[in-house]
This record gives sequence, C-alpha cells and structure tokens, in this order.
Amino acid sequence: MWSKQINANSESAMFPAAPDLVIVFGPTDRLADRTLIDRLAHRYDTAMIVGCSSGTMVEGDRLDDDGVVILGMGFDRTELRLAVQPLPSSDLSFAAGAALGEELAADGLSGIFVLSNGLNVNGSALVAGLRTVIGDRVALSGGLAGDGARFADTRILARGEHHADVVAAIGFYGDHVRFAHGSAGGWQPFGPVRTINDAAGSTLRGLDGEPALALYERYLGEEAVDLPASGLLYPLEIWDPAHPDVRVVRTLLAIDRDAGTLTFAGDMPQGWKARLMRGMFDELINGASTAVHHALDQTAAWGTSPSACLAISCVGRRLLMGQRTEEEIAAVAAALGPDIALAGFYSYGEIAPQNQTAVPCLHNQTMTITLIGECA
Amino acid sequence: MCVKPPPPITTEPPVLHRIAARQAERARRPDGGIDTDRLLALVSATYAETDVDRRRSDRANRLMAQELEVALAESALQNLRFKAALDNMNQGLALFDASRRLVLTNQRFLDIYGLDHAVPGLTLDQLLSNSPCLSVSTADEHRRLVEEYDGAASAYGARIEQRWPDGRTITIERTRLVDGGFLDTVADVTEARNASARLAHLARHDALTDLPNRTMLRERLDEMMRNARSGDRCAMLCLDLDRFKLVNDTLGHPVGDALLVAVASRLVTLVRHHDVVTRLGGDEFSVLVQHVTSDHAIEQLCRRIIEALTQPFEIGGHHIQIGASIGVAMVEVDALDPNVMLRNADLALYSAKAGGRGNYCFYTPDMHVFATRRRELEIELRRALKSEEFEVHYQPQVAIGTHAVVGFEALARWYHPERGIIPPNEFISVCEEIGLIGAVGEFVLTRACRDAACWPDSVKIAVNLSALQFKSGTLPAVVAHALRVSGLDPRRLELEITESAMLDDTASVLKQLRDIKQLGVLISLDDFGTGYSSLSHIRNFPFDRVKIDQSFVRDLGTNSDSLAIVRAVTGLCGSLGILSTAEGVETLDQLNILVAEKCDSAQGYYFSRPVPFVETLPFVSRMHALHSQAA
Repeated sequence: MWSKQINANSESAMFPAAPDLVIVFGPTDRLADRTLIDRLAHRYDTAMIVGCSSGTMVEGDRLDDDGVVILGMGFDRTELRLAVQPLPSSDLSFAAGAALGEELAADGLSGIFVLSNGLNVNGSALVAGLRTVIGDRVALSGGLAGDGARFADTRILARGEHHADVVAAIGFYGDHVRFAHGSAGGWQPFGPVRTINDAAGSTLRGLDGEPALALYERYLGEEAVDLPASGLLYPLEIWDPAHPDVRVVRTLLAIDRDAGTLTFAGDMPQGWKARLMRGMFDELINGASTAVHHALDQTAAWGTSPSACLAISCVGRRLLMGQRTEEEIAAVAAALGPDIALAGFYSYGEIAPQNQTAVPCLHNQTMTITLIGECA
Repeated sequence: MCVKPPPPITTEPPVLHRIAARQAERARRPDGGIDTDRLLALVSATYAETDVDRRRSDRANRLMAQELEVALAESALQNLRFKAALDNMNQGLALFDASRRLVLTNQRFLDIYGLDHAVPGLTLDQLLSNSPCLSVSTADEHRRLVEEYDGAASAYGARIEQRWPDGRTITIERTRLVDGGFLDTVADVTEARNASARLAHLARHDALTDLPNRTMLRERLDEMMRNARSGDRCAMLCLDLDRFKLVNDTLGHPVGDALLVAVASRLVTLVRHHDVVTRLGGDEFSVLVQHVTSDHAIEQLCRRIIEALTQPFEIGGHHIQIGASIGVAMVEVDALDPNVMLRNADLALYSAKAGGRGNYCFYTPDMHVFATRRRELEIELRRALKSEEFEVHYQPQVAIGTHAVVGFEALARWYHPERGIIPPNEFISVCEEIGLIGAVGEFVLTRACRDAACWPDSVKIAVNLSALQFKSGTLPAVVAHALRVSGLDPRRLELEITESAMLDDTASVLKQLRDIKQLGVLISLDDFGTGYSSLSHIRNFPFDRVKIDQSFVRDLGTNSDSLAIVRAVTGLCGSLGILSTAEGVETLDQLNILVAEKCDSAQGYYFSRPVPFVETLPFVSRMHALHSQAA
C-alpha cells in the first residue's frame, strides 16, 4: 500500500502510481466547482473519488484555509466499495446510517470511513443507524463536512457529483487492511453543573430553567453576534446522572433565535447534567497529541507501519486557537514522522471509536485520528 | 569598582518561539530573505488573537465567578435549611468520619446528652466525657454506658437501648456511610417506654381499683404451678358484695365506683403480701392465698374479710352498709387447674349466697353435681322455648258471694318430653337467671290473652309478671301487642306483680305500670303479706286488686295472727276501694271466714286446681249452673 497527500493547486505534484482511492478536502465553493471535479475525475479515472467541504484543510503539518488537499492511496490486497445515501433532513440520519450499513455489509468488511453533510444531520443517530447493521466489530470513523465559521453550506463529493444532502461511506474489505483510531479533546469543564430541563433530540431550549440561548449570549458577550460559530468556543460536557463517569462533549451547530433554541451535533437528553467547557491552547494541543499517540499505540501489533493518517479535528478548535491551531497539527505530524501521509479537515462533528470502549460514536470538539495500513 | 562586562554580541541566529519561527518561515521570500510586511501582519494577527483569547478568558472567569457566587449563596442557604431541619429533628444525630472523628452533631444530640457544644474532630469518647447526663452516678457507670454505646452500635443497623442514670431510656443506632464514616442516631424514647409500661400495667390491672385483673391472676397461678412444691396448698376465695347493686342504683355509679375502690383497699390490708387480691369484674373479687397451712386459717380469713366489709363505709357523705359472701376452693398446688379452681370457688360462692348473706362456704364436689344439673336445665329450657314445650294452665277465681267464675290466673307449665309436666317454681327462677324470663313471660301473656278472648266477657284473665320483665322498659309495648293480636278487651286483663318488683328501679317500674294501666289493663299486688307488706306501695300506685298470700289463708281457723292479717288487708282494701282476692283456699271453713271478712274473691283447690284451656269453659258453665241452682 502507498499513500500520498498533495495539493490540488500544485499541478506538478504526482502520485507514485494510479491511486485506488482519492479523498478530497476543500472549501465549499471549490468542491462545488465543476471544473475541479471533472479534472479530478479525468486525472484519477480509475480511482474512487470521495470528499467533503471544510473551512480549513490539513495538509501535512500545515493548515490551509483555501487550498484543496488530495490524499491518494493505492491498495495491494484490499477491495473498496462506495455507498451513498440521501440525507436531506437530520430526522432521517438513523435511517441513512442503517441504509449505508445495508449497502456495505458483506463478508470481509473490515472498516468504514464515512463523510456526511454537516448541517442536516444528527451524527449520533447516523452512527447508531450504521451500528445496528454492522455491529461494533467493523472499524468506523469519519466526520461531518464543514464550512468554516459560516455554517451555511457543506458539500459531499461522490460519484462525480457534489451534494449538499447526502452521506457517503467507503467500505474497506479484506483481511489485510488495518485501522487504528484515537480521539481526544483537551477541553476543560468550568462553572456550575447545570441540568438539561428542556430539550428534544439534539435541540436544547433550557438549562436549569434558564433559556440556554441566553446563557450562551451572556458568555459570548460581543461575540454572540457570530453565533452559531462562536458557540463552538463553549462546548457542553453532558452526562447521565446515573452514570457520571461516562461523559460526552456536544458542540453547537445552529441556533434559532425566534424559537430560542440551540441545535447540537448530537442528542441532548432531558434530565442529563451539563457543564460549559472551554479550551486552553496548550490543553487542546496536548489533546491532539494524546489522540495520535493512542492510535499509534494500536499499530504496534500490525507488523507494519501505517501508511496514511486522516486527521479530523473540530472547527471549534480552529476558531478558538486561530493561528495556533497549526500547533495541534504540528504535534500530530511530529508524532507520525515523515513516512505517513497526513491529510484531514476541520469538521462539524467527528466520528471515531471511543478510546476506552472502542465503540464508535460521534465526537465533538475533538481531534480524531484514523490510521490506515495494509499488512502483507 | 568592578563593572560587569556586557554580554558578547553573537552571530548565532536567535532561538525563536515556535510561533515566531513558523511566522518567519511563512514570511520568507523565495530568495531566503524575510518579507517584513508579511511577518508584521502575522505577528499582529497573533497579538490580536491573544487579545481576543484573553478577553474571552476574562469574561468567562468573571461570569463563572458570579455564577459560583450565586451558587455558593444558594448552597449556604441550603446549609442553613439543612441545619434547621437537622436541629428540629426528634432524633439526635452525630456524624463521624472514617477516622472515627466527629464531623457534626445536631442540636438534639447535644440536648439529649446535655452538652453545650461539640467540637469537630473529637472522638466519641471525648465528646461524651463532658455529658452530665451520663455522669449522674459513678464514673464506672459513665464509662460502661459509653463503651456499650460504641461497642454495641458498631454492629451496624442494630439498635441498642440504654437506661440512663437520670431515668431516661435512650436508643442508639449506627449507620455505616459510604466514605467509611458512620452516623449515629440517638432517640429519647422514655415517654414511649413509659407509655408501654403503663399499657402493660393496664393490661394486667383493673382500671378502677388498680388491683390485679384476671390476666395477672392467671399469670400468678401459672407461676405458682411452675414453682409448686409437693404438699403446698393454696386457696381461691371468690367474693361478692351484698347489696352493692342497691348502692349503685340509689346513690349512683360514681359512689358505687368509690365504694369498690374502698373495698379493694380494705381487702389488700387483710392479706399477706404474696397473696393476690383480684377484681374479677363488677362487685366480684377474688383472693388467692398461697402456702395455706390449714382450713381453719382460711375460715378465719373469710370471717375477717366479711367482718371488715360489713363495717360501714363513709363515701361522699354517705353512710354505706354492705356485706360480702365468700366461696372458697382449696387445692394442692401441684394438682392445680386454674379454670377448675375459679369455677369451684364460684360454685361455693353461689352456695354461700343461697344460704343467706354474709356467709362463706367451702367447695364440695356435690356443688359441682348441682351446678351440672342446673346447667343441663338451662340447655333444656332454651330448647323448650324453641320447640314450644311450654303450656298455660288456668286456675279459676270465684266471686265469694255468688260463686260465679270472675276470672282465671294463668300459670305456666313445662311439658318436658321425658320428665312430664314441670311446675313453674322449678324453672321460672332459672329462666330469670339466664335471661329467658322475657321470652317465657311474653309467651304466657300472649297465649293467655288469646285464650281469654274465647271466654264470656265477665271472665277476666290474670297473668303474673316477673320483676325482671320490667328491666328492658318494653313491657307496656309487649302488653299492648298481646292485646292487639288477641283482640281482648284490656279491662279483662289483670297483671299481677309482687312487691319485690317495686324495689328495684322503682321510678321506671312505676312509669311502666302507669303506661300499662293507661291501656285499660288492671294491676294486682300479688303475695301481699309475705314480703315488705309496705303500705307505701299500696299508696304509691293505684292497684286494682290485692291478693292475700296463701300462707295466711292456709292458717285461717288455726292461727289468730293470720286471721288478723287477713282482716287488716280486707279492711284496708275495703276502705281504699281495692278488690281483694284470697289465694290457696282449700276448705269450706277457710271460705266461710273469707266470706265473713268480706273478701271479694278466692281461688284454690277448694274450687279447682289449675286446668288446661279446654277445661276452662266447661268449668265456667258448671259454676254458672251451680250459681243458678243456688239462686
């Protein structure tokens, strides 16, 4: 297996061979550019081409807010299959996930990498739908497409078209392909513990009897005008009071000022506890480092090195850290070393197995790492 | 003066902060030089981002501090509420940490132990060392109570109970806490325990006299039986107050109750401390005498008791004279059966009362035979009423001047399926004792009225009433009913009562008699001359007839006293306009004297013994024929 990441702007950059899989990350407008799509299709006519939009791309140890990053991979002993399902509304997320699972489920399915539109989706439900079909033994990771701080339009590139309302999943088949994952946030909870007293699905209305939108506006101050993007600065840590040890992070996706609601990238169960979180630069960067090391530790048993690394980080980290965001990518790149191709994007939600339980789920505000390799 | 030389100027490139290094890298021109404008723009952006981040942090810290302040204030308020709740609990609480050091107590804990305050960090031993409540007695006792508390309470969940030197009863319970500490709950249960003790006392004592009751007597008997020694004898005395009912009826229940209390006090002074005086109920008492040495000793005790209770009582300004009858059962303790013993003493009491008041009587086995016979009789009487074995016979009453039949006296007969006809004197008194007299009396009255309705209008029917038939107060209604169903003219019915019926609850009896008389029914005074023969009775109620007892009639001609009495009664009746009837006329001589004494009518074997209903009308006709012949 080989992997290489190149920049679409660099006409001279070449892959060592015709790739089997091309994964593309780029700004929304570039991904919706017919010319680019056609050029990619022409240039990699034998490859499966899949991609998604984002405000910021990971290109090796650097970040790029404007360029299109292409990760090419060639496999020796691994079959690939692409599944695409419409996802026009987040209510259909579970069904779409289950349908993807049905499409991909076959003997030899080893792993799935999923890319979903980033706005009309309940990531938790999408993963749950997939898991009902494929179970927990198939490696599952991926992310929700992004649009920087705009939250206006996300795109999925699949089968030669760009879509605002689909979810695409690549199935990896065979005994030789290997996956390793890691995810970590580095966000720190602060302030009082609150109770979710008014919520439905992924929509939150009240915390401790107070409108949740008002709480965010108070904490954001003048930055409240930038909601929902600025809401990413303060994710929520939530947990079931019956299981206080199992905590998940929820990131803000959208607001409805008329309804006074906030929509998060996952369920907000009523009665659960919630606490605001904030990121300190060093803690977030340490989080990224933790994620990549967790993944690398798993590769020790492979008998071979990973070939590619897909780093999917949260747009909230990008918004918070500004120029210093690059430091978390630098930390990942330093841990990987020069021989592993590194590409990725800043997403509206990350999908990867939990570090402790290895059960796939939706993460928010984390850096997630997917390492891919192929054994002899 | 030594001047420190300036650091040497080096040509080494500076060690840059990693941000600066990356910015420098990004601002590097293709020729290797630095694009200063680009670099400055990057540096400036970094400063701006840092400013924004600092402002966010400041804002977040400020808001968080405000929120935490509110939360702390709420928490402090909550603590105050908890403290108020804890301090107002009925139980004392003391919370200890995993190293057995005090964390907190509530006010109730301090109150129970009489402590001013409790310093956190103390051990239980140190905490309680200042408790004045535990120190009322000796230091040893104090130590024992603390050790018992700490030791016994360590068995988590087990509640221990301590009786403190100051008389209080305290329960202590220890609950293990998740942090390894424990919570002790202390409750003052003195009042509850005292109430339980009072209840237990009440369950075994008579509420009025505070004497032991049957339950406690039974316990003492059981205890005696357990500790019985061969040859040891005991005696059970059952005693019943004479004339107590009269006190209750005439002076009221409060005086009656006070009398019972006074009787109890006297009884207790007459026995030894290990003998048991019990109130069995009403005016019945018992004395259990242990370790009896001789029958003579018991006889002496009985006499002492009777004598003591015969002495007048002064109660509420009343001078009260009563008496007592006693039945005694003596047994060997190792053969004792409490039920049999009490029953035998009761039979002996029955026997003592039968022999007149102020007596005592020892149980003998023949009493049991008598009692058994009586019990059989009771059972048979109840059956007789159900299976209609009673009948009514009629004894004619004849006008002395004309020999015309003026009436019949109804007399109950029991047709026993095995023993034949049984006369009333053998069963009426038993009926009265077992509460059957009402039913039997009603049967006789109804039957007599029905039969009398078949006789000529000139013939009356006389029916005897028992004093007990007045008890329920429904007698006027019963009489009215009998008249209604028979259609008998009330003026043909005469009800006979004895003087004794007027003695109990006189007002109620008189009222019922007046009500009956109001119906038109006539009232006779029966057996006059045998009992009180009180003229006040004749004056208190307008009797229509007085019946002279047969004992006087029988002696007419042989005993001048009897003649004097008969003459006095007929004379009295004549002056008051009351009819007189002589009972038990058996001879012509007797009849002639009664004629001479102007007695109105007579009945007796001279005319006829009581006859069944079928013979009544023929008798009337026969007498009428005789009368016509004589005329």
